[in-house]
Amino acid sequence: MKSWPSRCAWGFLLLLAVLAFAAPYLPIADYRAMHTDSRLLPPQWIHAPFLGTDAHGRDLLARMLWGSRISLAIGLFGSCIAMLLGVPFGLWAGFSGGRWDRLLMRLADALESIPMVVFVLFLLSILQEYRAEMAALGFGRLHLFYFAVGVLFWIPTARVARAEALRLKSQAFVQAGLAQGLSQTSLMRRHLLPNMLPTLKVMLLLTVPRVILMEAFLSFLGLGVEPPAVSWGSLASEGLAALSPLVHAQWLVFLPSGAIACTLIALQVAVQEKRKH
Amino acid sequence: MKRRLALRLLAWVASIMLVHAAAFFMLRSTRGGPFDQSRALDPVVMQALQQRYGLDDPPALQYLHAVQGLLHGDFGPSLRYRDTQVSTLLAEAFPVSLLLGSGALLLALLFGIPAGLHVARRRHQNRHSALPLCGTVFLSLPNFAIAAALLVLFSFHSFHLPPAGWGQLRYLLLPWLSLSIPLAAQIMFLVRSRAEEAYQSLAVRQAMAAGLSPRHIRRHYILRPSLSTVCAFLGPAAAAVLTGSLVIEQIFALPGLGTFFVQAALARDYTLALGVTVVYTALLGFCTLLADIATSLLDPRMEALS
Repeated sequence: MKSWPSRCAWGFLLLLAVLAFAAPYLPIADYRAMHTDSRLLPPQWIHAPFLGTDAHGRDLLARMLWGSRISLAIGLFGSCIAMLLGVPFGLWAGFSGGRWDRLLMRLADALESIPMVVFVLFLLSILQEYRAEMAALGFGRLHLFYFAVGVLFWIPTARVARAEALRLKSQAFVQAGLAQGLSQTSLMRRHLLPNMLPTLKVMLLLTVPRVILMEAFLSFLGLGVEPPAVSWGSLASEGLAALSPLVHAQWLVFLPSGAIACTLIALQVAVQEKRKH
Repeated sequence: MKRRLALRLLAWVASIMLVHAAAFFMLRSTRGGPFDQSRALDPVVMQALQQRYGLDDPPALQYLHAVQGLLHGDFGPSLRYRDTQVSTLLAEAFPVSLLLGSGALLLALLFGIPAGLHVARRRHQNRHSALPLCGTVFLSLPNFAIAAALLVLFSFHSFHLPPAGWGQLRYLLLPWLSLSIPLAAQIMFLVRSRAEEAYQSLAVRQAMAAGLSPRHIRRHYILRPSLSTVCAFLGPAAAAVLTGSLVIEQIFALPGLGTFFVQAALARDYTLALGVTVVYTALLGFCTLLADIATSLLDPRMEALS
């Protein structure tokens, strides 16, 4: 049975996903078109431009809808990549136990006491040198971002996967599998992984918010999506740049940030319901 | 305890050396350099520059020089700021960042712990406190949005606090607040869940049955385990402050490590970026170490376990 807050949360997320998918077909203004005669219009709410315009006269509603595509995709795929790295690591550590487990977990501990964000930023700034080559190979900013997210967020997922593996390892069906002579890999794939899925789903939903915030962080530092493309993070940081005591264009910061916050809160509510079960 | 401490110190030094080595070799293996400009430099000039900065030695020798410098706290000349040593820049920026970070951490603890205890204490009352809701909202906003809200509220509309710059204590108020608000929310949730757990423990039930005063129970049976959880969180909290300060220092134009790092990373001032990375690693490792010691002091079982 789902409670009403979680129904609302799922509804909101669904609506968001539909809008993001349908953004190219919606009757909205072009998100790239600049209109110098209508700059920094405040939100009108009942008629166009509904959410106002930015410093170049671009329609904020259209930009936010297009931004939702990238933000949501980044959140989802980025978390998936972090899990793809972390889950096998944790699964292996937890299942094999003993010395391997200790070694792998010490490694994770050591990595956590290093300022990974700074290190990744350092790496990204160096990789900027190779932009032309990477573009030739089909790697863009977005791929770099996924890489950064994977590096930054795999450790928590590895820990969760390890704990789950430890829990499941002692259960009868795994012992039975061992007794039947199943190989370790097939035991992990057929018996451990399917039983971990509910926990992993929760973990995925918990990682998405952190990735979306990370995207906003990187966008602020100028390492996020590249200009014609927009994301909520890049919109909000653009808005922050336009903010000054003379220009009261607060909606440019607060509407995209509000979109981020609403999505994250909806995810939170949805996860809490799942966690209880 | 002593042996463990020595081991941890050793690991700390090793992590610094490792990060330094990794960053150093990453740097040296990149093709482009700070002297790349749209117009190619005269080869003679280029060679002179390389010689001046010691870039024409074999990499192993360069690394040895770098390690020697590291031991003396010397990271060589900045590539961007002419005639300035990186260590001079770091020495100027470090106090700013330290003041900002430690103040924010302190504020977060001062708000977060009482708030968490308060929410846990009122867990059975029908009227929910607004604190968890606020906390959720604060945790869901990017930190520059919080900074923007504070700017609009307390700098543009009322109080007229300085929106940027560095000088008296007034300049630090908004950065402190915007850095500590998300952290305080996180600490609040942490303390709440630990305190709620403690309320349900047999020890507390026994203490109640024995007729100990609620105040005594709160202080000795609830606060203490919560504090040890908070102590264990200090390492990740320091990492969060560090990450946040990269953004907050930019917004409020504070001349701290974060500003220098971001500018250096964007302007390819590699020696400066390397210096800041090493300082950050040392700082974070030190905080993790302190948190570890504090945790084992507060909860002796931790030591028995390891």
